Amino acid sequence: MNTGLVDNWLNVDTFGPIYPFVGTEVLMAVVGIAFWIGWHIMQIKKENTEFKQDVENIKAKGGLGKVLDDEVNREMGDSIGR
Amino acid sequence: MDNELSSLVVIFTEFYYWVTVVFMFLIHVGFCMYEVGASRYKSHMHTLMKNTMVIPLVSVTFFFFGWWIYFAFVNGPWIIGPLVEAPFATPWSELMGTHMGGAPVQASLTADDTAFWARINGVFWAAFLLFSWTAASIVSGAVIERIRPSAFWILAVLIGSFCWIIDAAWGWSWNGWMVQKLGYHDAYASGVIHAIAGGFALGVLIILGPRIGKFRSDGTARNINPHNPWLVTIGLFLIYTGFWGFYVACNIPIIDIYGPLVLDVADKTYFSATNIYLQPTTLSAITLNFIMSLSGGLMAAYLISDGDSFWTYSGGLAGIIGASSGNDLYFPIQAMLIGAGGAIVAYKMHYWVERKFKIDDAVGAVAVHGYAGFYGVVICGFMLWGYPSSPFEGYAPITPWGNFAGAIIMFFVLGFFPALIAAKILNSMGMLRIPREVEMVGLDINHESLRAMEAEEVAEAIRAEAG
Repeated sequence: MNTGLVDNWLNVDTFGPIYPFVGTEVLMAVVGIAFWIGWHIMQIKKENTEFKQDVENIKAKGGLGKVLDDEVNREMGDSIGR
Repeated sequence: MDNELSSLVVIFTEFYYWVTVVFMFLIHVGFCMYEVGASRYKSHMHTLMKNTMVIPLVSVTFFFFGWWIYFAFVNGPWIIGPLVEAPFATPWSELMGTHMGGAPVQASLTADDTAFWARINGVFWAAFLLFSWTAASIVSGAVIERIRPSAFWILAVLIGSFCWIIDAAWGWSWNGWMVQKLGYHDAYASGVIHAIAGGFALGVLIILGPRIGKFRSDGTARNINPHNPWLVTIGLFLIYTGFWGFYVACNIPIIDIYGPLVLDVADKTYFSATNIYLQPTTLSAITLNFIMSLSGGLMAAYLISDGDSFWTYSGGLAGIIGASSGNDLYFPIQAMLIGAGGAIVAYKMHYWVERKFKIDDAVGAVAVHGYAGFYGVVICGFMLWGYPSSPFEGYAPITPWGNFAGAIIMFFVLGFFPALIAAKILNSMGMLRIPREVEMVGLDINHESLRAMEAEEVAEAIRAEAG
């Protein structure tokens, strides 16, 4: 079993690609691009859920005015690094 | 040094390793920032000093015996052969001092030894030393806020100047017995640094116990949040930066593959960079793979942790670590996907182990280094199945079972069990954990009281001046 084209290093001066699974580069590119695009799709879905939850939390805490007032009070009392 | 070309190769090699040492210093700046940020404020200065003192302690012990172990223990010893002579690496060797490469004074050395090692020994020692610091610093983060500094520093010397350098002699040298007999391949140290340090940390954590307040009475874990999450993530980012130096230091920059040091073929010349096993690779290839495995790790970790900054940055590191074993040879997209797998393994295993075994790993070190490192070694055995593990005749090829056995040796035999035994001994002497009361109020209690008194004294002096 050999995943690469290399079975010894004696003729290294003649070698070209030495990574495993030479010949599958296009397939790997397709899988890689699918991974990238899939990431964006999953991330957008999670972000939508997160923002929806954030808006519901604001309402549950008494609305925008109340939450903003609490935020100001917290920042005034906050000491950095503690 | 009697002709310009060979002198250039020697001095370039010397300078190359020197540069990697400077870069790798950033790993330790990063570790300090990361641990200080992860701790609660009441213990942050002791946390800083605990990690800082790894530097001198591992340095001096690596000088006294660590460097010699790397060369002397390649056969076990007594696994495939005896101890190997290494007169250039003993702390009393003339080659550990400034040397111009001329005839030796000490009888144990030859002219070939001095010609070869005079300009390389110091920088090569330093590159390995920075790996040693890394092994100890990995353990440092897991045990914050409750380990006695004295105990940690004994453990740091054990992992930094003894356990990891034995694993390097065995599996991260051109002639280590694990390379010869198992075909073990671990180019950028998934196993030899990360899995062993993660396993070591786990062994300590089992005996040390969790921080007070970590677990509820029903066994579920509370989150003890970092006092400065921004500092934690910037620390990790600096570790990424320093990791470049680590990767580059793992290579040999230029060597004639057909020359006397490698294949020794007459009338042929082929200069290339190689990995530590003297197999050819290129700096270009590892540059691509480092970035792609980092990217795969960051992307996977961001998704599974819902964008948590600590786990995203940690996942990037787990990505690099997960692909490091074979990053000398992988195609970049392979490195990206393997890196993504490393991040997922680290995140999922951290929380599973925490739930199931009540292990409090304050910074996820066992996961990011130990589990991702183990995964990295195992995956490499499959991905590089059948490749020669060495340019030399008679070495076993790379196989899944050889690398799996190697992962077990790294994580458990040289990491977990020595740590468990050492921590148990320290604990039985009452030397492992800080007093309960001190842990509750914070290690910096006296430091903070003194600062408050000094500030008050200065304020009073200023008021008195003001009249």
